[in-house]
Amino acid sequence: MHWRTLLQHIGTICVLGGALAWAPAWAHHVLGRPAYALNEDSNTPPALQLEVQIGDYFVTSMVFPAFPKSGKPARVNLYARHLDSGNPYTGEVRFLVRDDKWFADEPELLGVQPPNDYVFRQGMVFSADGNYIISAEFEADGEPYVIDFPLRIGNPAPIGPLGLALGTIIFVLVSVSVIQRRRLPGARIRHEHRDARS
Amino acid sequence: MTMAHPGLPVVWAAAVLTLIGLLSMWALLAPAPQVRRGVTLSLARLPGIGGAISRMLTTPWVLLPLKLIMVGLFLLVIVAGLFGTPIPERNIATVLTWTLWWSGLIISIFFLGSAWCAVCPWDTLAQWLVRRRFWGRAESNNSLNLRLPRALQNVWPALVMFIGLTWLELGAGITVDPYVTALVALLMVVMATVSLAVFGRKAFCRNICPVGRTIGFYSQLAAVEIRPIDQDICMSCETLECYHGNADIEPCPTSLVMGRLTQNSYCTSCGNCTQSCPEQNISWRLRPPSMEAMYGARPHWDEAWFMLTLLALTAFHGLTMLPYWDVWMSDMARVLGDSGRMLWTFTIGLLSVLCIVAAIYAVLVSLTQRLMHVDLSYRRFFSTFAFVALPLAFAYHIAHNLNHLLGESASIGPVFANPLGVGAIPLSMAEMHARQMVIAPQTLATVQAALLVIGFVVAVQVVRLRGFGLLVSADASGAQRRGWCLLPLLIFAGGMTLFHLWLLMQPMIMRM
Repeated sequence: MHWRTLLQHIGTICVLGGALAWAPAWAHHVLGRPAYALNEDSNTPPALQLEVQIGDYFVTSMVFPAFPKSGKPARVNLYARHLDSGNPYTGEVRFLVRDDKWFADEPELLGVQPPNDYVFRQGMVFSADGNYIISAEFEADGEPYVIDFPLRIGNPAPIGPLGLALGTIIFVLVSVSVIQRRRLPGARIRHEHRDARS
Repeated sequence: MTMAHPGLPVVWAAAVLTLIGLLSMWALLAPAPQVRRGVTLSLARLPGIGGAISRMLTTPWVLLPLKLIMVGLFLLVIVAGLFGTPIPERNIATVLTWTLWWSGLIISIFFLGSAWCAVCPWDTLAQWLVRRRFWGRAESNNSLNLRLPRALQNVWPALVMFIGLTWLELGAGITVDPYVTALVALLMVVMATVSLAVFGRKAFCRNICPVGRTIGFYSQLAAVEIRPIDQDICMSCETLECYHGNADIEPCPTSLVMGRLTQNSYCTSCGNCTQSCPEQNISWRLRPPSMEAMYGARPHWDEAWFMLTLLALTAFHGLTMLPYWDVWMSDMARVLGDSGRMLWTFTIGLLSVLCIVAAIYAVLVSLTQRLMHVDLSYRRFFSTFAFVALPLAFAYHIAHNLNHLLGESASIGPVFANPLGVGAIPLSMAEMHARQMVIAPQTLATVQAALLVIGFVVAVQVVRLRGFGLLVSADASGAQRRGWCLLPLLIFAGGMTLFHLWLLMQPMIMRM
C-alpha cells in the first residue's frame, strides 16, 4: 500500500482547506437612517443608477429617493459628458414618462430642464404604483439622443413570471398525464398480444 | 463608485514566473512519463468510521434533509428575487446565488466532486413534481420517457447554455439584479421539469444543464469519486442494479454502469447506485486529484469543445472585471456604433475571446501533429489534448472566485437576518470600505499563486502523459525521446497561465 502517497494527498487537501478556513474576523457596525425617513432630497444612494454610452456621450442618471413611492415626490438626476473632450453637456434635456407595457399610451412630458451645475434634475410625483419608462432626450452636434430607463414605483405584484412558470409546469405535467393515459392501454394490449403469441 | 480587490503582488508573480520557467524546461528535457495508477482509498473501508459511512451511503435519509434545505434556500432566492429589494447587496437572491453559491461551488468541486448535483434544488423540485414522490422509485407512467434527439445526445446543448449563462451573468448583469436572478432560477426549474416529464432518465442533467456539466468536467480533477469498492464483484454482476435500479431505487439518472465507470464527468453523485447495489459495493473514495484529466478520461469531440470553452470563459470572466474593461467596451462600442448597455459590443467581445482561445489551441495542436509525424487524425489530437484546458481553467477559476468569496461575503450576515432587504438601503461607502477579507490578503495571494503553479504542473502532466500516449498508440519510432514534439502545447499551457497571472495581478472590480 502506498500510504505515503495517500497521506501526501490528504495532507495537500488539509493544507488547502486549512488555508481557506483560517479567518481573522473583522467586526464593524455602521449607523444608518431608517428607510422610512428618506425622501427625494435625502443624501442617500439612489435606487437606480444607470450608466450608458450613447453616441459621443456617456450619460449617468440616478433616481431619488432609494424607493420611490406613489403620491410622494421623486427626482431623476442626469449628467452627460462628451466621451472625447470630457466636457459636460450644457444644453437642455426633455424628460418624458410612459407605462412600461405593450401598447402603452403616448409618453407624457414631465418637463424640459436646463443644467444646474451640469446636472439636469427633473422632479415628479407618480399617482399609481407600477413599472414606468423614463425617457431623457437631448440634441448635441445636430444629433438627437434618447435614453430610456425603467423605473419601478412601489412594489408591483411580480405574479407574472411566477404564474408563467407554474402555468408551464402544470400544462406540461397535465399533458404528459393525458398522453400517458392514452398510451398505456395500447401498450398493455400490445404486451398481452405478445405474451399470448409466445 | 466601484470597489476593487487589489491585484497579486509582484513578488508572487515573479515566483510563479520562475517556477513556470523551470517546469517548462523540465517538461522538455525529462524522459517519457510512466502512467502510475494512483492509490485510492474507499471511505467505506476506513478503519473505525467505514461502517458508518457505508450505512449513510445506502440510505436515502442522509440526502433527503440536505435536499429539503437546498430547496428551501432555492425557494427563498426566488421569493426574495421577485418580492424583495432591488438592491443586490441587500437581497439574499443575489448574495446567496452569486457571491456564496456560484463562487463557492467551483471551490467545493475539488473536495466534493459532483456532490452539488446530488442536492441540486431545481432537479429535486423537478423530480418531486414529475415523479410525485419525495424518495424511492416512481411509476414509469409519469414521464413520456422519450429519447433525446440524437443530435442533442452530447454536451453541445450544455455548451450553448453555458455561453448563454455567462452572457447573462457578465453582459446582462444578472449578478446585480435579484429579480432576473429569480427568473433564471425559475427557468432552471421549468427546463428541468419539462425535460424530466418528456425525456427518459435525466437528459437535462446529462446534456443540457450548464452548471451540471461544468461541475462534471471540473470533477475530473477532484480528489474524490464514487466507484466500486471491489471491481471483481462488478465484473461478475449480471443484474446491474446500478444501471437499472431496483424495485425501490431509481436507475442511474445518466445511464452509467459502475463496473465500467472511468470518469466523473457524468456522475451526479445521486446515490442511487450506492443504495441499489445488492452487494453494497459502491462507495465514495479518495484518489489522486486530476488523474482522470491526465490519463483516465476518454477524449470526445464535443467534450473537448466544452473544456476549451470553459477555459476561454474563465479568462473572459477575469477580463470583464478589470478596471479597463469598460474603457475597451466603450471604445469598441463607438467603432461599432453601439449604444445603451452595449450588449452587441459585449457579445462580440465574448465571442472574440472564445474564438481567439480556440484558434490558438487549434493552431498549436496542428503544429504538434506535424511535429509528432504520427498517423492519427487531427480530430483525435484536438480531443485528446483538450484536457489541458481543465487544470488551467480550474486553477484560475478558483483563484478568481476566492476574491469574490472571501472579499465580498463579509456583509452576508445582515442579509440572512433580512433576506428580502425590507427597508434596507444600499451599502454605504463606509460599509464598503469596512468590508474586510475573511483571510489576510497575503494568505490569499499565497493561495492564488500556488493555485496557478499547481494548475500549470497538472497541465504539463496532461500534455506529457497524453502526448506520449498518442506516440505509443501510433507506434511511433523513438517515442520515448520525443518530448520536444509537445512544445507547442506546453507553450499553450504556459501562455494561458501567464495570461491568468496577469489577470490576477490587476485590480479586480467587486461584484457588489
